[in-house]
Amino acid sequence: MSRRKIIGAIITKDLVAFTRDRFFVAMTVLAIVFYIVFFWVLPSSVDETIEIGVTGPIESLFLGDFGGDNGVAMTGYANRADLMGAVEDGSEVVAGLAFPESFFDDVATGKRATVEVIVGTGLPPEIEQALTGMVGEIAFALAGSPLPVEQLDPQQVVLGVDRTGDQIPLREQMRPLLAVLVLLVESLALAALVAEEIRAKTVQAVLVTPARLTDFLASKAIMGTLLAFSQVVLIMAAIRALDPNPALLLTAALLGSIMVTGIGLIAGSSGGDFMQVLFIGMAFLIPLMIPALAVLFPGSAATWVQIIPSYPLSTIIVDVSSFGAGWADVAGRLVLLAGWCLALLAIGVEILRRKVQTI
Amino acid sequence: MTLRRTWTIFARTMRLGPRSPFFWWALVLPVLFTFLVQGVFGDLFAPAPTLAIVDLGNSEVAAGAEALDGIEVSRVDDVETLTTAVEAHDFDAGLILRDGFDEALRAGTRPLLELYVAGESLASNRVVLAVTTLDLIRTVEGSTPPIDVSVVSLGEEAATITARTLPLIAMMAVAVAGAFVPAANLVQEKEDQTMNAVLVTPATIGDFFAAKALMGVVLAIATGVMTLALNNAFGSQPLALTLVIVVAAIMMAELGLLLGSWAPDQNAMFAAWKTGAILIIFPVIFYLFPTLPQWIAQLGPTYYFLNPLFELAIGGATFSDVIGTLLVALAVCVALLPVVVWSARRLEQRMASV
Repeated sequence: MSRRKIIGAIITKDLVAFTRDRFFVAMTVLAIVFYIVFFWVLPSSVDETIEIGVTGPIESLFLGDFGGDNGVAMTGYANRADLMGAVEDGSEVVAGLAFPESFFDDVATGKRATVEVIVGTGLPPEIEQALTGMVGEIAFALAGSPLPVEQLDPQQVVLGVDRTGDQIPLREQMRPLLAVLVLLVESLALAALVAEEIRAKTVQAVLVTPARLTDFLASKAIMGTLLAFSQVVLIMAAIRALDPNPALLLTAALLGSIMVTGIGLIAGSSGGDFMQVLFIGMAFLIPLMIPALAVLFPGSAATWVQIIPSYPLSTIIVDVSSFGAGWADVAGRLVLLAGWCLALLAIGVEILRRKVQTI
Repeated sequence: MTLRRTWTIFARTMRLGPRSPFFWWALVLPVLFTFLVQGVFGDLFAPAPTLAIVDLGNSEVAAGAEALDGIEVSRVDDVETLTTAVEAHDFDAGLILRDGFDEALRAGTRPLLELYVAGESLASNRVVLAVTTLDLIRTVEGSTPPIDVSVVSLGEEAATITARTLPLIAMMAVAVAGAFVPAANLVQEKEDQTMNAVLVTPATIGDFFAAKALMGVVLAIATGVMTLALNNAFGSQPLALTLVIVVAAIMMAELGLLLGSWAPDQNAMFAAWKTGAILIIFPVIFYLFPTLPQWIAQLGPTYYFLNPLFELAIGGATFSDVIGTLLVALAVCVALLPVVVWSARRLEQRMASV
C-alpha cells in the first residue's frame, strides 16, 4: 500500500470522526453563518461629517461652503425654536449655531453680539470647543481681522494618501478579524480531534497497521490544513474578501491554515479532555487575535504586535482586500508568514511525534 | 433535599473547583474584559481626535492643547518623527511649533502655521483640530473675538461609549461564572461518573443541582461585584446594584444547569455555548448602539437585569425606578425553576437507565 493511500485513509477516518458529531458540525456551520451575518450588518460607510444647524442672517453665507466635504455639513433653519427642536431631536443635526438678526450690523459697528452654540445630548467636548472657535473665526473674518498665522500650501498639509470621502468602513476592517477567528476556532477542532486520539489511544491502533508514525503526522497536518482552509475560504468568499486578488488572498489563507494547524497540533498533543485542550488553545488564541484587532485601529501597530505570527496575515488581508495591494507590496510579509507557518507546523509535528512515542 | 448535603457537595465543588482552569478563567475574565473593552473598544467606537506636537520653543500653544478636553495630545521629539507618525496615521494631525512662534504671534508677524493632517484621518477630526488649534493661537496672540459666545446645552448628558460597555462587561462576567462554569462542572461530573458516585450516597439529584446552582450564584456574584468595582460603577447605589447582580447570578446559574444537564459531553456543551450565548448576550448590543430599536432588547430575558444595572450605575436611577423591571427578571428566575427541576429529574432517569 502506498504512503499516499495510507495517509488518505487516515484523513478519511478523521473526517468521518469529525462529521460524526452532527451537533458539533451544525454548530460550526451556524457559527460561520453568524460571522457572515455579523459582517453584513456592520456599517458599510464612514460618517466623517459633523452635522450642524444654523439660523440667523448668516445662514445663506454658510450653506454653500459647508456641504459636508470638509467635515462639516450645515442645514438652515427658519428660526431659533426650529433649530432647538432639531438639535434636541438629534436625528438631523448634533448642534446648532443661532446668530442674532442684527449680527452683521453689530459686527460692522463694533457692538458685541451674542451667538448661541446649541449643544445636543452627548456632543463630544472637542466638537463643542471647535464650534465655539468656529463662531469666533467667523466674527474675526467679518470684522476684517486676518488670521494671525500664515498657512501652509494646501498641497503640503495632507501627509499620505488623502482618504477624505473614501474611508475604509469598519465592515471592511473586520475582514481579517473574522478570517483569523475562523482559523483559530478551527485549530481548536483539530486539537480536540488529536487529543481524543491520544486519550482514547486510537493512535496505537493506527500504528499497528502498515501506517508509520510519519503517515499519522502527515495526515493530521493535511487534515487540519484542509479543515481550516476550506472554512476560511468559505467565509472570505462570503464577506467578499477574495475579490480584489483571489490568488494572493488564497495563498495567504493557505499559509494561515498551515499556521493554525501547527497550533492545533501543539494544543492537541496534551491529550487532555476537551476543556483542557480548549484552555491550552486559548493561550494561543488570545495573543493571535491581537494583530487582527490592532488593524481595526488607525496607525501602525506596536513592535510587539508586529512580531505575533498572525500579524502578517491580518495586514495582508486588509492591504489586499481594502487597499488593492499586490504581490510585490506584500511579498516580505508573505515570506514572514510562510516562515511562521513552517516554524509552528514543525513545532506542532515534533511535539505530537514525541507525545505519540511516549504512549 | 437537605441543606446539609447541599452544603457538603457545594463545599466539595468549591474545594476542587480551583483545579479547573475555567474556574480561574471566570475570575480573571472580568479584569481582562474591563481592560479590553474600555481600553480598546472604547477607542474603536468613539475615537478621540489625536494631535502630535513638536514644541521647539516652549510654546503656550502646546500647553494649551494639552489642557483641552476630548483631544488626545502627545509630544514628540522631532519634526521627522512627527511627519512619519502622521503619515502612518498614528495621529490625526501634527503641529510643529518653531522656536519663537509665540513671540512672532504677539509681534503680529504672522508665523507659519505648520499643521499637517494624516491622509487617513476623518474630515470631521481635521476640522476640529484645525479650528481648535487656531483658537489656541488666537488666545496666545491675545486677541478676543468681537462677539460673545453662549453655550446652550439641551437634554441630559448622554452616557459615554465607555459607560455603555458596562452591561457588556457585566454580562460576560456573570454569564461565564454563573452559567458556563456550573454547566462545564456538571458535564465533567457526568463524564467522569463522579455524579453517579455522589448519587449512590443519601444525596439526591436535588442536593446535587442545588449545590451546583449555589456555586454558579456565588461565583457570578463575586465576578459581578468585582466587575462593578473595577468599573467604578457602584456610585450611590451599592446595595441596589448588588441585589441586581444576585438576581442576574440566579438566572445565569439556572441557565447553566439547564445547559449542563442537557449536554451529553463537553464538545456538545461548548458547541451549544458558542452559538446559544448570543441569545442571552444580545441585549447588550442595544446599549452599545442606542439608536437601534430598543424594544428588541426586551425580548431577551437578560434585559430585565441589564436594564436595572445600567440605569442604577449609569442612568442615575433609584431602586424604586427599576424595581418593576427587576421583578420581571425575578419572575423569569421563578419560571425557570420548574424547568430546572424537570431537567434534573430527566437527567436522573437517564442516568438510572444507563
